[in-house]
Amino acid sequence: MPVALTLSVSFWSDQFVNGLTTGSLYALIALGYTMVYGVLKMINFAHGEVFMLGSFAGYGALVAMGGNELSGPVIALAILGAVIVAMSASVSASVVIERLAYRPLRGAPRLAPLISAIGVSIFLQYLVLEQTSARAKFYPDIFPRGSIGAGPFEITYIQLFLIASSVAMMALLYAVIQRTRLGRAIRAVAENPTNASLMGVDVNRTIVFVFILGAAMAGVAGVLYGLFFQTIRGSMGFIPGIKAFTAAVLGGIGSIPGAMAGGYVLGLAETVGRELLNELPGVNLGNQWRDVIAFTLLVTILIFRPTGIFAQRSTTRA
Amino acid sequence: MFGRKGRSRFAWLLLAASFAMVLAAACGGDDDDSGSGGDVTYGKAGFKTVEIAAGQPIKIGYSGPLSGDLKGIGEPILKAIELAAKDKTIKGHSIQIVAKDDLCSADGGASAATQLLQEGVVAVVGPICSGAVVAAQPQYEQAGITHVSPSSTAHKPTYPDRGQVFETFLRTTYSDDIQGPAQAKFAIQTLGAKTAYVVYDTDAYGTGLRDAFTKAYEKEGGKVVGSEGFEKKQTDFKAIVTNIKNAKPDLVYFAGFYSEATPFIKQLRAEMKDVKFLAGDGVKNDEFIKGAGADAEGAYLSLPSPVYTGEAYKTFGDLFEKETGIKRDASPFVAEAYDAATVIIRALEKVAQEKDGKLVIDLKKLNEEIRKTELDGASGKIKFDARGENVGGETPVSLFQVKNGAFEQLKQ
Repeated sequence: MPVALTLSVSFWSDQFVNGLTTGSLYALIALGYTMVYGVLKMINFAHGEVFMLGSFAGYGALVAMGGNELSGPVIALAILGAVIVAMSASVSASVVIERLAYRPLRGAPRLAPLISAIGVSIFLQYLVLEQTSARAKFYPDIFPRGSIGAGPFEITYIQLFLIASSVAMMALLYAVIQRTRLGRAIRAVAENPTNASLMGVDVNRTIVFVFILGAAMAGVAGVLYGLFFQTIRGSMGFIPGIKAFTAAVLGGIGSIPGAMAGGYVLGLAETVGRELLNELPGVNLGNQWRDVIAFTLLVTILIFRPTGIFAQRSTTRA
Repeated sequence: MFGRKGRSRFAWLLLAASFAMVLAAACGGDDDDSGSGGDVTYGKAGFKTVEIAAGQPIKIGYSGPLSGDLKGIGEPILKAIELAAKDKTIKGHSIQIVAKDDLCSADGGASAATQLLQEGVVAVVGPICSGAVVAAQPQYEQAGITHVSPSSTAHKPTYPDRGQVFETFLRTTYSDDIQGPAQAKFAIQTLGAKTAYVVYDTDAYGTGLRDAFTKAYEKEGGKVVGSEGFEKKQTDFKAIVTNIKNAKPDLVYFAGFYSEATPFIKQLRAEMKDVKFLAGDGVKNDEFIKGAGADAEGAYLSLPSPVYTGEAYKTFGDLFEKETGIKRDASPFVAEAYDAATVIIRALEKVAQEKDGKLVIDLKKLNEEIRKTELDGASGKIKFDARGENVGGETPVSLFQVKNGAFEQLKQ
């Protein structure tokens, strides 16, 4: 079926914004993967579900505060409240998961915590699916509609809000990692846990903080996702989880700037990249192709740059 | 095996090859399997004779979504079937409805079929969704179990890929070969929409409806300016909405279910307030209005059901509302489901024979009896052609618009 697109500047700018939007969500979630990998060399596959739980908690908070009835400036407060509730829910879930499912396996072969993580992921996903009888929930439709911009460059309020708050959260996280004692401890543990503990760093406590930071980002992502796409369900964590993991690998797993960059690269590849491919004569890749494009990109980058875009300087640790 | 250089050359080659395949697949387009009419040749259905011991119920199966997003379609249908079987006995045997949840998916349809066959059902109402029907047909055919779907509207169940028509499949609703053209005519003649953007679910139902609509729409003189598919459970329609915005169509045509139509229309309305929206039976459900709220206002929906005017529909509707507490038009296909169950039960009454204290049912005869049905049912007149298509009705497509949070039927 021919698609006759008169590709205008506004079209490309819209798709670019769409790419940044999904990219922001991927980046926020990817941070959790990359940080945990950094300190534990373990892939926390339950992280997508931590994101999902945050989204549901935020939904519950918004509905409790009045849902669709909210109006005026109260909306801003309600969203802030929802974000805080979501962050707390994600953080508590993540801390419990770490304590029950990962810490007992700290010394075990590397596959054991991985399998444990997959188990937790499936458990949480189906727990929520069961509780909601697998039906979608709809976020209250409270975010003001409309857009801002000049000429062909336009961005809707919600997209602006989503991108801006993701960037702010990431900047905050980066400052914590680079500027605080806690951040230094995290970096030390990531480099070498034995040495770090010899220097007086409480390794277990630091690891818990890594889970807390990652989960907080996922909680924020959960609410942003809900406000933007408005539809949430128990299985919603799976695909964003896999995509965020991809973004983390793409950027160089273990690297925090890498995860952010990877998220945006992936988000843009799915939207702008697909449309660019469609510009080639005879190519018409439908919307369903975006996952194919995302994962082709991953494979391609891994073939030629196995350590990702932002390769870690020290990869000596076994 | 490869040197360092060889390996990277191999990697390049692999990459180039996979990319070429992607392009080839993408450009290939869909096969046009919409052959019309023609001779009907059946495959080999494995009809057997079953015996039911004294005191045991006769089991009729049901396969449809009973959990998940599309529970809102499957549950009222099951209630209607149970209503049709309630208090009915055939030669002293009661009728038991064995319900299996197939989640409206192809996998679910096949696995529900396996389970129902194991339970020893003599016939099945369903599957509800076309994707599940297509996946389950071979199993029912092999076992010789006749299944009547009240709601599968896709082209494929009655025109299977391999040419041989399934003898065991029939439906009490109407094919999208009727719904698609009716929608196209409505879009052009009533809505005056000269250009349309088609958004479709990639399952058998969505692609079937897409093809039926597109073909008829272009024949009527309309132009399809773009089309994009999506997967079930997708929530991100942003990129599609941007494409639609860019294509500036008069009409957005949606071939899928309300579970995806709800987030889709919210994202569409956030950017395009005035574009007309038209969808089919999968979206015409109270759940759509509940989920999409104000964004559902003005949406046009069609239903491959006649304008229910018959006395039988009134009787059924009153009984259904009294027994189940569900509004008769909250979800589509309840009358068709009641009729599908009735068709099966009536045939069973004629075919079932007592022998040595057991009830003997010849599945071949049951199939023949069902095919011979002529019924003035709750959903209208029912009569099947050789493909299992319902050819009884006179005005089998009705149209609705969402107004003030309710579906209002449009005059035709």
